Amino acid sequence: MKRNVFLAFISPSVIVMTIMMVVPLVTAILLSFNYITYSNLNEPSFVGLRNYREILSDPAFWKSFRFTVVFILVTVPAELVLGFLIALLIDQIRYGRGIYIAAILIPFIITPVVGTLMYRSMFDRGGLYYHLLERWFGYEFLLTTGTVRFLILSHGIWYVTPFAVVSLFAGLQTLPQQTMEAATMDGAGVLRKIWSVVIPHLRTIIVFILLIGIMDSYRVFDSVLVMSRSNPVFDVDTMMYYTFKVATSVQRLGMANAVSVITVIGILVVLIPFLVVTYRQQKEVR
Amino acid sequence: MDKITNRYGRILIHLALVGISVFAVLPFLWSVLNSIKFPVEANAVVPRLWGFDPTAFNFAKLWLFVRGTAYQGPVDEFRPVGIAFLVVIFALIALYRINKRKERISERTVGAIISAVIVLMLLLVPRFVDVSKFYGYLINSIIITVATLVVSISIGCLGGYALARYSGALGMVILIAALGFRALPRIAFGLPFYYMGQILGLYDTHLLMILVLVAVNQPFTIWMLRGFFMDIPTALEEAAMIDGANRLTTFWKVIIPITWPGIITTSLFTLLLAYNEFLLGRLLLQSNWTLPVAIASYTSGEDAAYRTIAAAASVSISIPVIFVIIFFQKYLVRGLSAGAVKG
Repeated sequence: MKRNVFLAFISPSVIVMTIMMVVPLVTAILLSFNYITYSNLNEPSFVGLRNYREILSDPAFWKSFRFTVVFILVTVPAELVLGFLIALLIDQIRYGRGIYIAAILIPFIITPVVGTLMYRSMFDRGGLYYHLLERWFGYEFLLTTGTVRFLILSHGIWYVTPFAVVSLFAGLQTLPQQTMEAATMDGAGVLRKIWSVVIPHLRTIIVFILLIGIMDSYRVFDSVLVMSRSNPVFDVDTMMYYTFKVATSVQRLGMANAVSVITVIGILVVLIPFLVVTYRQQKEVR
Repeated sequence: MDKITNRYGRILIHLALVGISVFAVLPFLWSVLNSIKFPVEANAVVPRLWGFDPTAFNFAKLWLFVRGTAYQGPVDEFRPVGIAFLVVIFALIALYRINKRKERISERTVGAIISAVIVLMLLLVPRFVDVSKFYGYLINSIIITVATLVVSISIGCLGGYALARYSGALGMVILIAALGFRALPRIAFGLPFYYMGQILGLYDTHLLMILVLVAVNQPFTIWMLRGFFMDIPTALEEAAMIDGANRLTTFWKVIIPITWPGIITTSLFTLLLAYNEFLLGRLLLQSNWTLPVAIASYTSGEDAAYRTIAAAASVSISIPVIFVIIFFQKYLVRGLSAGAVKG
């Protein structure tokens, strides 16, 4: 394809992305140096780095940062391990694969706010899990910071594992038969085969799931809002939720933009190695 | 992997999978159950799985207005409309299933008929029944989702095709930049748009929401479509171009029809992303809410009656999604695994 044809084809997409993504990002950076509340939207006052200083010395920001890190460290590995185990199970059977996959996909496809609300209702008074916990273990599920955190983390795993299941299951279908047979001939046991043949074969998929998992867990927002019932009593802010709160309840728009600039820098630092690797891979494909 | 041949082993695997599936689906089923209970029963200390009076009360209260006030009790005048509604839906499903087996009419015609009937129904319902605000939120959701879908797939197809066929460095740069944008938190776009929307007077309009959703989903769309276009051998279009067709004609007449399944897959994901979007709607809409934003208003209520209504709202919002899973599962799985398998 010639360069000018390429430019003609790609331009609508690039124009939309530039106007609607690059421009807002630049705006965000500019706004982050200003003091803006809802009463002075039209005349922001320039305050330099004050917003950044305020954020970095705000303990609530660091708390939200820590909880976001915990969320990533819990959900992403759990997603990978559980997803791999479930994919292996589905791979074992011949009948009913479609039905199991459809059922397992539901948490991932359903509107996240709705899914969270449904998951939460299981633990409400009168909900099934609430009742079973009380009946079997004599445990009364009351909402505290700890239990709300548990709800957010377990919902995170419930929500995201289907993605890993489907990806890894697709990967298992392309397992080279000869290598597996050779491993059998060499007397390799099941665990040995999984470790030395299956996992190396799935390497790119695992990296892909890690990448998407980190990206999506980093911006967890919907479930925090629903699980905490927007109630500040529960100390469960993630970084996105902290940004949202600064923008809506604290009403400091400039400061909120500063937080989102910080979060953008944060995710880019994590992602740049991945982006470089992807760039090299894609170059090899050509 | 080697298959377990032992019979008991296989039964155990099925049992484990049934358990996992139940765990995945249970919250949804529980909400269905709550949505057909009266509030008193839904809040009972010992929840009952059966033996209660099923009721459509919550759905009626959610969707209907009776003579200017919120729905209070059973009103028979809606029954014919409700029955007509169900009959039309079943007729549509039957048409789809029968045609799928015999292929009398082309799939596109069936799709056009089904969408036309749905649009007609949506327009007619408010003429026969007094609908509540929630119906308006549904209409907002539909307008925003469909517009986002059409715009982002049309420009995404052009972009994805260009990226699949162009080998210069600029293409790589655009791809990697798009991947970077995909990673950025939405709030980073939402806040400046809130500000710009206020200044430009676009705040709380469908237009702003559509533009933002198109842009935010564009990186994903072009990556996925590029993958599908790369699977199409170049020999086909070269042949067409030797026959004298130009790039655009070739693209439209040759490439699009073969890539159609891939385009459907991408459309499904774009549709779900637009339909499910919460944060941007929460930031950029004030009264023209979409469904996810509307349902979030039920989240903080501790009122007992709210719980069953929230369940009815959850179930109502999920119905289209469940339809997508049932009818398009093949495409969904393909899409989810395409990105992964190709790396």
